[in-house]
Amino acid sequence: MSMTDGEIRELCNRFFDAYQDRRVDELADIYSSDCVVWHNVFGGREMSGKDNLAALPASYEGQRRRTYDDRIINTFEGGFVIQYTLHGVQHSGHKGALWICIVGLCSNGRITRIDEYMDSGRFPAWRGAGPAARENAS
Amino acid sequence: MRQDWNLLALCDRFFDAIEQKDFPTLEQCYAPEAMVWHSHDCLYQPRDANLATLRDGMTRLKKMRFKNRRVHTFEGGFVQQHTLFVTHPNDFVGQMDVCFVAFVRDGMISRAYEYFDTGQMDRFLGPRAGAA
Repeated sequence: MSMTDGEIRELCNRFFDAYQDRRVDELADIYSSDCVVWHNVFGGREMSGKDNLAALPASYEGQRRRTYDDRIINTFEGGFVIQYTLHGVQHSGHKGALWICIVGLCSNGRITRIDEYMDSGRFPAWRGAGPAARENAS
Repeated sequence: MRQDWNLLALCDRFFDAIEQKDFPTLEQCYAPEAMVWHSHDCLYQPRDANLATLRDGMTRLKKMRFKNRRVHTFEGGFVQQHTLFVTHPNDFVGQMDVCFVAFVRDGMISRAYEYFDTGQMDRFLGPRAGAA
């Protein structure tokens, strides 16, 4: 069943709100059963939505808090593109940011595919380690 | 009303022009106020500086190909995901996954956002260049 622009936008925001609030149960409801998640980093491999959700609790342990800010959402037939800033507070208190773009495909009220683009060159600054972080802090 | 075909045509014209080293056509795709933002420095690059970068690549590289293009249009713009393959003067073929989000005014790209991973520069520039 096709979705309206408004429904797609709402689904996109619901997805990021759930991600921010660490609600894995809500995310499991948002992903279709055959959902595929791909990242341009981490070897550029595809993973199932199920595997992606399984990895989330460990991923969340890295930061005290994450917020998904400055969301610019544009919808198209069957999906959305979102550009946003991921702000994170590490356990050390260091504040970092990543600038990310996701193209999501949707059907029947669920997300069926996620392609995520980010820059792993900024990971040290995000974590608060290395010269990039010192450069960011200055 | 969404002008999907015009947006798709602009998208193809822009990337085809880079592939074909057709600088005049490329230049016409950008509005006078065009700015291009890149995820590696989070800075907006002015039109002339971006065109100079593209011209340098078109001159220096043997070949630039945008493969596996997946384009979606939205109200006032488009997003293209692709893998950029470049053939360097030493014949090394580099590749990079890119997401390009463009906002369009009067049939020209007014603002663009380009996302890619600088953590894989060896794969794009070649092992020796990446280490430099």
